[in-house]
Amino acid sequence: MKKRYLIILIVLGLLLLTTIEAQKKLFPDVTITAFCDAGHNALPFEWYAPEFEKVGIKIKLITAPFANVYEKLKTEFVAGTGAYDVIVFFPLYLGEFAGMGYLKPLDEYAKKYNPRMDDVAKAFAKLYCYYGGKLYTLPYDGDVLSLYYRKDLFNNPEEKAKFKALYKRELRPPVTWDELIDVAKFFTRKKGEKLAGKVLTEDFYGYAFIAQRGSFAYAWWLAEFASRGGRYFDENMKPMINSPAGVTALQRIVDVMPYCPPDVLSYGYEELKDALILGRIAMCLQWPCNWKKGNDPAQSKIVGNVGITHVPGIIKDGKLVFRAPMPCGRVLAVSAASRNPEAAYYVAKVLSYDKSLADVSTPKTGLDPFRISHFNNPKAFAEFAPESEAKEYLSALRKNLTYGYPDLNLPGSAEYIDVLEIYLGKAYTKEMTPKAALDAAAAEWEKITERLGRANQIKIYKDLLQSWKEAGILE
Amino acid sequence: MKEESLNVIVGKKRFARWMALPPVLILVALVVGPLGFLLYSSFFDWTLTIPAPPKFVWFKNYVEVFKDIRFWNALKNTVLLMILGIITQSILGLILALLLNREFKLKKVAITILALPIMITPVVIGFNWRIIYHEHFGPLNYIIRLLRLGSGASWIADPKLALISIFIVDTWQWTPFVTLILLAGLQSIPRQVYEASNVDGATSWQIFRRVTLPLLRPMFVLVVLFRTIWIFKIFDPVFILTGGGPGTATETLSLYTYINGFKLWRIGYTSTLAVFQLIIMNIVATIFVRKFMRRGSK
Amino acid sequence: MTNEKAYEEFKRRIRREKIIHWLQNLLLLFFIIVFAFPIYWIFIGAFKQKGEFFHYPPIFFVNHFDFENFQRSFELGGAKGVRDSLIVASLNALFVLILALFAGYGIGRFKYGGPNLSFFVLSLLFAPPIIAVMPLFVIFKNLHLIDTYIALIVSYLLINLPFATWLIKGFVEDLPEEIESAALVDGYTRFRAFWKVTFPLILPGVVVATLFVFVFAWNEFLFALIFTRSSVRTLPVVLTELIGGHGIQWGELSALSLVATIPSILLVIFFQRYLVRGLTFGAIKG
Repeated sequence: MKKRYLIILIVLGLLLLTTIEAQKKLFPDVTITAFCDAGHNALPFEWYAPEFEKVGIKIKLITAPFANVYEKLKTEFVAGTGAYDVIVFFPLYLGEFAGMGYLKPLDEYAKKYNPRMDDVAKAFAKLYCYYGGKLYTLPYDGDVLSLYYRKDLFNNPEEKAKFKALYKRELRPPVTWDELIDVAKFFTRKKGEKLAGKVLTEDFYGYAFIAQRGSFAYAWWLAEFASRGGRYFDENMKPMINSPAGVTALQRIVDVMPYCPPDVLSYGYEELKDALILGRIAMCLQWPCNWKKGNDPAQSKIVGNVGITHVPGIIKDGKLVFRAPMPCGRVLAVSAASRNPEAAYYVAKVLSYDKSLADVSTPKTGLDPFRISHFNNPKAFAEFAPESEAKEYLSALRKNLTYGYPDLNLPGSAEYIDVLEIYLGKAYTKEMTPKAALDAAAAEWEKITERLGRANQIKIYKDLLQSWKEAGILE
Repeated sequence: MKEESLNVIVGKKRFARWMALPPVLILVALVVGPLGFLLYSSFFDWTLTIPAPPKFVWFKNYVEVFKDIRFWNALKNTVLLMILGIITQSILGLILALLLNREFKLKKVAITILALPIMITPVVIGFNWRIIYHEHFGPLNYIIRLLRLGSGASWIADPKLALISIFIVDTWQWTPFVTLILLAGLQSIPRQVYEASNVDGATSWQIFRRVTLPLLRPMFVLVVLFRTIWIFKIFDPVFILTGGGPGTATETLSLYTYINGFKLWRIGYTSTLAVFQLIIMNIVATIFVRKFMRRGSK
Repeated sequence: MTNEKAYEEFKRRIRREKIIHWLQNLLLLFFIIVFAFPIYWIFIGAFKQKGEFFHYPPIFFVNHFDFENFQRSFELGGAKGVRDSLIVASLNALFVLILALFAGYGIGRFKYGGPNLSFFVLSLLFAPPIIAVMPLFVIFKNLHLIDTYIALIVSYLLINLPFATWLIKGFVEDLPEEIESAALVDGYTRFRAFWKVTFPLILPGVVVATLFVFVFAWNEFLFALIFTRSSVRTLPVVLTELIGGHGIQWGELSALSLVATIPSILLVIFFQRYLVRGLTFGAIKG
């Protein structure tokens, strides 16, 4: 008799165990195809794949080159095959993707798995995630430009003395755009000259920027344009990029080019980052990830000397006015054609919230902070840098974010920006004067607006302006 | 055998139809669909970036193409590549073919190595040359500096150089093809021809000009034919190497069509561009057939 | 006296020819180095670590032969890339071969379709593939064929069939009709005459055509980029996935590129003797 009871107990026990195992799995063994731009920002999908498997989600990762993300996604959306479930893209395309119905609204799922949108910095939340009042994306990477500079060079007593003698003022990271030219010129030295007490083994330059079309090059022009009060369009969708503010901003870049490396016109993200952290330039505007990488001994030659501050601006009515462009950025969304939207959302939420601190603080990715909880956690960023420096870094980011300037998030944004970058390029190569280039770009913009339907664009742009106001980033 | 010969020897026409009709039908089916789509949609203003339906606009797209600076720029770039490419590759290919048309050790090895660039995936070639052309870390500029030929150039970022850089890559990839064809031609010239000319007391140069070159004419026709077709449609290396940049300096027709189709999603306009290219290439094809293939068994 | 002079003349001429011969060899060597260098660069790149790509001066030799890049590239999609490319290229080559053989023979020997069909095939040769991408995309989308092997095999048919047909047609036209007539007199059926007599004679052309078709399908990028997503991923597409705007994985890229080139290299080596003959034998007259 006892033996039989024992057997029954064992069987029951085993059954219980299996149900417990099954309960751990939130999802019934689904495969979620994730799409992300290739390279370091796709790594988290690989890192957490084992953990996702434990809850029943198998991750299949598809990547595409950075410059082809738009085409790949758009092609898939038009084809509507449901090949991608969770996707990573640049918020620049949110207007178009959400407007065309390619994305699944996430409000429902957010109630079930809370993504803590209240913890997301207001600027990012407003600009990246909502469209037409609905939640469509969760933030993944918060981008804002800051001014980076070589601390060791700017703090060097010899250089300070030299600068003061030449320019009759203290050497400091440029606070205004006029100052930028002076400082860039000052630090441009040839091989063999001295810099901060050492003899240079190759040429050194004061400044550099991104010029490559398709790599958000326009943001480097936007920085001064916005600080001078520039806007993409007026309320009737008339382009304002060729206003005096725009021309001055473009002229500035043309003027600073002699103090940039000779190959600066081919610079994309990689090249600009390397120019700074491999020690070829004194300063530049760059994304937050540059700080992480600059302090990583495995990648950088300037560890400990990565200075970061707010972008240059202009003096208006005695006050300093600056605007930090927020180009790129990344968000996670669920494709409307996905066959497993809830599981896809789950993946997005984990990456946007649970794992986000780890991801944004490691130099292995290019992901940057976007949550208030990130900004309040300098310890997490102190893997290779002292905590005081991490604090400085986070506060600089917050400062720039407070005065952030958004990407143009309209239908056809990819086209508008591409045209602008083509003409910026023509001014860089001196094929056209800044005024002629911007006038031509503005004329093209008008044509695009006409083609896409002016009335509709005006309406959407008005909504956009409203949301920017609410985000507190437009005066 | 004799019993089998009782099987009807099918008439020529029936047999020809039996053999050729199925593949031809398949080909026509594959062509008719897309062609119809192209022609039909070219009359519409149809963009997929906004939720508006296609609008019938008669010939507006066609007129726009004529006024489109970027289209003419793309055509110019493509034609430039064609002219530069065909001339350079023909001359270079001929020199190489002459060099290979001798007897020497390791001839087979030389030919095999030379045939490699043709076979490599164009996408791979694009990547590879991107590294080679790298301003700072690339071997090309390094070698240039080493040989004191200059300080290196901005191969992909300089708008004046970028198209030449594409031309260099194309020449590197396809000159071996020209070489192989010309080599075949050279090898098919019987020795007696040379011997006869020698007897007549002609110099090497005269032999080359008056005998070899004319005999190679059919080969050159082939070469020009293929190079024309293939340069006109060039896409992969440009896409990977420069993406059409800097600016629009290396935007070829194919690339511009691709951009209109899959970046701007202007379906109607893209179809119009396609029709233009079809017309251009049909004209070229007709010229070719009339001028060069008269002597064929047509 | 004259004999000695003639002898001196002779010796001088021989020496001069020898010098020219060696100069020509040198020139050829120079060209070979120039053409082989980029391939060599991919080869050493496959064995470089990440840092070694951004090293100044550039590294011209392999420091260590480790296969980590190869392994990693296979994990990142290279394995699937090889498999899918093999499937698509082989199937496409097979279909094109059969169809082109029949069509080429029918048009070449019997002038089927007259000059119009001939011109039609020729004009297809001239058409740039880009014009077909959007229409085919829309058609495939409506037939739910996006991201399938069929989509690629069929679209490659559109490009390869005209080329292969034209090539084989040229070969067939060069063959005198009498050879087949002789076979017919001997009691062969038309098909048997074709199979046993004509086919072996046009083999170089057939081989070259198949070679080109396979290599073309293996290397094709544009159609694969647009028509496939995740179920089908051929090598050229997988290769582009290794470029991130934020960090290009040059080592893995080089390694996979090398692997992608191997079939083509093998084919060239094996069919080298057909290559030159096949391209031109008969295709002259179009």
